[in-house]
Amino acid sequence: MLALRNVTKVFGADAQRYIALDGINLEVSEGELVCLLGPSGCGKSTLLNILAGFDAASDGSVHFQGAPVRGAGKDRVMFFQDAGAALLPWLSAEENVRFALRVRKVPKPEWPAIIDKYLAMVDLAEHRRKFPAQLSGGMRQRLQIARALAVEPKVLLMDEPFAALDALTRRRMHGFLLDIWRRTGTTIVFVTHDIAEAVTLADRICLMSVGPGSRITEVIDVGLARPRDLADPGAAQLFKRVEALLTSEK
Amino acid sequence: MTEETLPISAPVGAAKSSVWTRHRGALLFAGSIAIAFAAWQFLSTFVFNPFLIPPPLVVFETMVPMVKSGEIFRHVAISMARVGVGFVTGSVAAVVLGVLLGRIRVINELLDPVIELLRYLSPTAMIPIAVIWFGIGETSKYFLIFWGTFFIVLINTTAGVMRAPIIRQRAAECLGASELQIFLLVVIPSAAPYIVTGMRIAMASSFMSIIPAEILAADSGIGFLLQQSSVLLQTNRIFVALLTICVLGFVFDRLFRMAVDRMLSRYMSYIALT
Repeated sequence: MLALRNVTKVFGADAQRYIALDGINLEVSEGELVCLLGPSGCGKSTLLNILAGFDAASDGSVHFQGAPVRGAGKDRVMFFQDAGAALLPWLSAEENVRFALRVRKVPKPEWPAIIDKYLAMVDLAEHRRKFPAQLSGGMRQRLQIARALAVEPKVLLMDEPFAALDALTRRRMHGFLLDIWRRTGTTIVFVTHDIAEAVTLADRICLMSVGPGSRITEVIDVGLARPRDLADPGAAQLFKRVEALLTSEK
Repeated sequence: MTEETLPISAPVGAAKSSVWTRHRGALLFAGSIAIAFAAWQFLSTFVFNPFLIPPPLVVFETMVPMVKSGEIFRHVAISMARVGVGFVTGSVAAVVLGVLLGRIRVINELLDPVIELLRYLSPTAMIPIAVIWFGIGETSKYFLIFWGTFFIVLINTTAGVMRAPIIRQRAAECLGASELQIFLLVVIPSAAPYIVTGMRIAMASSFMSIIPAEILAADSGIGFLLQQSSVLLQTNRIFVALLTICVLGFVFDRLFRMAVDRMLSRYMSYIALT
């Protein structure tokens, strides 16, 4: 569904020249949940911006459903860590979802049903008239999920979406995300620096090396049943293995 | 619940839930003004020459016939009309140009240097040339207020548009918003607090620049009243005019804030979030 061939990203020129990504190859198939895992500064966000079409690759190709990616496409919805910045603060929860339907040109008569459905899915039906500033961090992230899902994207690109949440809320959000993923069948590319998060969520984990010149060093098929518990031997073993790979790499 | 476990603040609040707690701000305001007037009355009666600083009671005596004959209202009305026309046209023009400057790089690069130089020409500095261009009729005053308003609102609008958060725009973009929708539905509302702030500052500046404009080049308005009274050494009437300016500025700023609260509060109240 998503195919990256030899994607390279260079910032600046001459003395300031910085090679962020150096030959990234990746295939994501439909309905898959792929985690890009690596430490800060390894170019995960750069890669995600290229996938979203906000940024162009310096070299190599990005194909989505067989066609080259040019600019932001509505089939690939980006999901930001800072929900407060991504949501429109002057619109209430339901108005934020309505905004997405409006710009997506969904026929007006369908709006109320879609809004109800997705706000209910993320448990925000009772808070529909609240503004983002009146919602907690986790609720804002759920609202962002509802808004993104309402336009039924083929791919969700998630940039460390839960990194700013407390551990308990984050766990709850993982449950939410997996549940919604199962129900909608959306393809998800999930960027994180948290090994536990990757082990909990991913079908496949792609390890990225530290920049300059980041590349995908290892691709791990997880193949564990969900829901996963990090205390289970399989998950614990995987965690150790990933940790060892990340630390040995330097 | 026993008496000991009652919230400590309850009896305190009950004792003070009087007129005082509910209208504290208004009462303090009135008190402050009353004390100032009393001090003024005392000083100009016993300390200063009452011809140079007429006591408030004398000023009110002067004011009564001016109010009864409608003279003061005529001057106020004409000054406010000038401020109104200049302020509204200046704001509209500045917002339109400001969003273009903030959004389209070429326009910004082309016009920014010129704006950076022109904005140091205060309306007062423009009075002599305005009189030559437009005479002492209404047009010259409209122009001067427009001039003062325009640059203040322009700079604030441009800044607001340029600072519209990129994440907010990208989020809208990948939901499917077109360039135009991002501009109208995301960027401009994001700039609203900046635009309103600019307009508020510009309104204060309009109130200040209408006076010199009318002193130097008008035959009506509050500034003209000041100028005429000065020539005739009528300090009482000068103080009536000065008091009028204070009250007008205060009232209009409150009205502006109320209008903003009523119409734009959802765009103004979120600032803490971002």
